This record gives sequence, C-alpha cells and structure tokens, in this order.
Amino acid sequence: MLLFDRVSKSYRLKGVRKAILSDFSFRFPEGRNVGIMGRNGAGKSTMMRLMAGIEPPDQGRVLRTSRVSWPLGFSGGFNGSMTGIENIRFVSRIYGQDSNRVIESVVEFAELGASLRLPIKTYSSGMKARLAFGLSMAIDFDMYLIDEVTAVGDEDFKKKSKAVFKSKLERSQIVMISHSASTIRQYCDCGLLLEGHRIRFFDDIDDLLAAYKEINTAGTD
Amino acid sequence: MKLISTSELLSLQVRVIVSLILRETRATFGTSTFGYVWAVITPTVSVALLVFLFSMVGRHPPFGSSLALFFATGILVLQLFNELSNKLMTVFDANRALLTYPIIKDVDTLLARAILISTTYVMIMVTFFGGLWLLGLAAPPARPDQVVIAFLAASLLGIGFGTLNAVVASMWETWTQVEKVLTRPLFFISGIFYVPSQLPPQAREFLQWNPVLHLIEWFRWAYYPNYGTTLLNVWYPVGLGAGMLCIGLLGERVFRSARF
Repeated sequence: MLLFDRVSKSYRLKGVRKAILSDFSFRFPEGRNVGIMGRNGAGKSTMMRLMAGIEPPDQGRVLRTSRVSWPLGFSGGFNGSMTGIENIRFVSRIYGQDSNRVIESVVEFAELGASLRLPIKTYSSGMKARLAFGLSMAIDFDMYLIDEVTAVGDEDFKKKSKAVFKSKLERSQIVMISHSASTIRQYCDCGLLLEGHRIRFFDDIDDLLAAYKEINTAGTD
Repeated sequence: MKLISTSELLSLQVRVIVSLILRETRATFGTSTFGYVWAVITPTVSVALLVFLFSMVGRHPPFGSSLALFFATGILVLQLFNELSNKLMTVFDANRALLTYPIIKDVDTLLARAILISTTYVMIMVTFFGGLWLLGLAAPPARPDQVVIAFLAASLLGIGFGTLNAVVASMWETWTQVEKVLTRPLFFISGIFYVPSQLPPQAREFLQWNPVLHLIEWFRWAYYPNYGTTLLNVWYPVGLGAGMLCIGLLGERVFRSARF
C-alpha cells in the first residue's frame, strides 16, 4: 500500500515559494500501473521522491507498507571510486539481499563484462545506466518507481530490458513518469496528471493521454 | 494494515550502518587492507616525529619520565576530537548521492562515519601506547577502565560538536572555514605539552572553559598512576558533548527539508 495523507510540499527558490502539493490525499490503486504525466516543473519528480521516502513532506504523511524502490533512472547513487561489483554489493547489502545472487544477475543482464571490476568513474553514461537498471531489476520490490527512463543502450539491450520489465510486472506494480504517450500506454493502465494547481486521477489511460494532450496544446497557444 | 516490526526495523538499521561503515572504509582507505593499516600508521608516525623533534631540542617531559607518553596522551585525544568534528561536518554533503536510496538517512551516514573514526582511533592508540610499552618507554595504563571512559567521552564531545557542525554547515557553508579557525588554537590551549594544573591561576581560570583540556586531563589521570589534577571536571565535557549531540540531532530533524 502507498498512501498520501493530506500531503503538502513546497519549495523556496530564490525567495519564491512554489507549492508542489497542497493537502493532497491519494491511495495508489493496488495491482495497477500508474503513469504520472505533467509539464516540466509540475512536480512529478518531487512526487516520486516523496513516494520513495527520499524527502519528507512539509505537512501530512506518506504511508507505505510495500517495498518501494528508489526512483530508477539516474545513477546518482554510485560511488565513483568503487568498482561496479562493490557498488552492487553495497546496494544488495542495504536491501538485505543475497549479494552473490544479485551480482550474478547483474553480470548476466548488464553485459558489462570485465568493466564491473573497474571503478565507476571509468564508465560511460550508457554503462552506468545499464548497471543502474540491471541492479534495480535484480532487487525484488513490490513497487518500482521509474523516472523517465525505460530503456537504455542498443536495440538488443532495449529488447532485453523490456523482457525483464514485463516479467517484473507480473508480480510487482510500477509508477512511471514519462512525457511519451506511447511509453505510458505500453506500461500503465491508469494515471495522474499534474497541472501545477491541481492533480487529477484518470481511471482510464486514454482519458489521461487526452487530457495531457489538451494541457500541452493549451500551453503552446 | 501490515506494519514493519521493531525487530525488523532494528536489523534494517544495523544492516544499513554496517554496509555504510564498509563502504566508508573502502572509500577512505582504498581497496587494499594496507590502506587501512596506512590510516593507522600515518598519525602514529606523525606523533612519533613530533616527539622526536621535541626531544632533539632537549625538552624534558613536563610530567613522568617519558616525553612520548605525555605528548601522546594529549595529542591523540585532541586528534580524535578534531577528526570527528571535521569529518562529520562535511558528512551530509559527501554522502548526498547516497540519498538516492531512501533506505539510507542522513543520520545513518553520520553514525557510520563516527563509528569508523572512533574505531580507527582505538587502533591508533593501541598501536602507539602498545608500541611505547614494547619499547620500554611507558607502562600500561594505571586505570584502564577510566582510559576507556575518557576515550568514550572524547568521542561523545567530538560527535556532538561534529553533528552540530554538520547541521550548521548544511545551512551556512562558510561555517566549515569558521570551524577551522575556531578549533586551531586547541593545540595550544588543551595542555598537550604542559601540565595545566601547574599554570598560574589566571591562565587556569581561562583554560578551564576548554572541554578538550578536561578530556586530556581525564585521559592522563587515567593513564598515569599519580597524575594530580585540580582542574578536571568529568561532567563538563560529557554534559557539553551530550547537549551538543541533542541539539545537533534536533536541528537535523527540524531543518531536514531545508537540505533538499
């Protein structure tokens, strides 16, 4: 279960207060995949950070009883001077997973070969993304939070990611941020639309995409 | 509603702290076990060098028969405090990337670093005092239990001040520079190369406000069988350390959302 209970969150940037959420209550529907859409700066990533528990809300509570992943998509959590293997071992350890099993599965999935024994700072951004994605897929979560990224690397790797992803979806649910209508349609069956001053829930994915299109065209006029 | 049990939470906490300590060890001291040995050897050698220089210019120990022992009982305690205060100050910033994983909180990184530094200083002190003993330059401590308590008190003061520093530095970056300036004189006013009780009353009146001086007095009183001290008040550094730790942790909680 993941529940927002009267959550308020705002930022103060250069003296300007910007409200992201105000008195927002929402229970994420069980067993469904939720797409989060909205224009840049509407607070999608902040909402995800609140869901993950990275940031505390200003007011209200975020309650979770399921194992929620960290927001996947950026590889900020790696230590550059540590090797790939060491980073994997660290993350498996904090999540209480068998590190050998996780390493095995990342080795097989990420196809980084001997590079896994080199420090992360020698990696290209593509390699880092593959490692990050492989690592998160190797750890069992009830809910995966995905920020913008679904596939990295070449065609082969993309196909492989998609397959792993699909198998994950059988047992876990996802919450996904994306600007891409096709990605949202592919993975999600309901969604939230963040408009800055209000947040709407759509039970039907087509309604979400239509409404998203509407605010986008309204904005460009 | 299924809630996580206290024992699960506790084991999670232990898991996170242990993983962080291992990671921190690896990040600070490099891949090989030799890296850690190096971290123990470096301060040991630097103190030995200072002792050597002092004895070259013909200084006699202000107390006891070993200049090395007198000097080490002072400088190692000060270094422990300084190291904690300095390294904890930057802990939030250094571990920013780790907060990608929501399971890790700022306080965990603080605790892990504090444990690692304190443990390293246990090693350093055991090496140094053990070495002196083996070389026949010093006797083992007269009150080992009090040595341990004095060490813990020094850690507490360092951790308390370090936590407070971390919170202040996270809101006001210049503090890292200010702290350096403020703690620099400690080398001279903590009784490292003199016996504070032998100073004139005006000087003692002033120096007794320095909590590190009390810690060094405590450590020496515990180490030497007959080190007389008129200044020592064990509750002063302990109370100050505990107080700063509480205020620091409270500040961390209050200003948590401001750090993002």
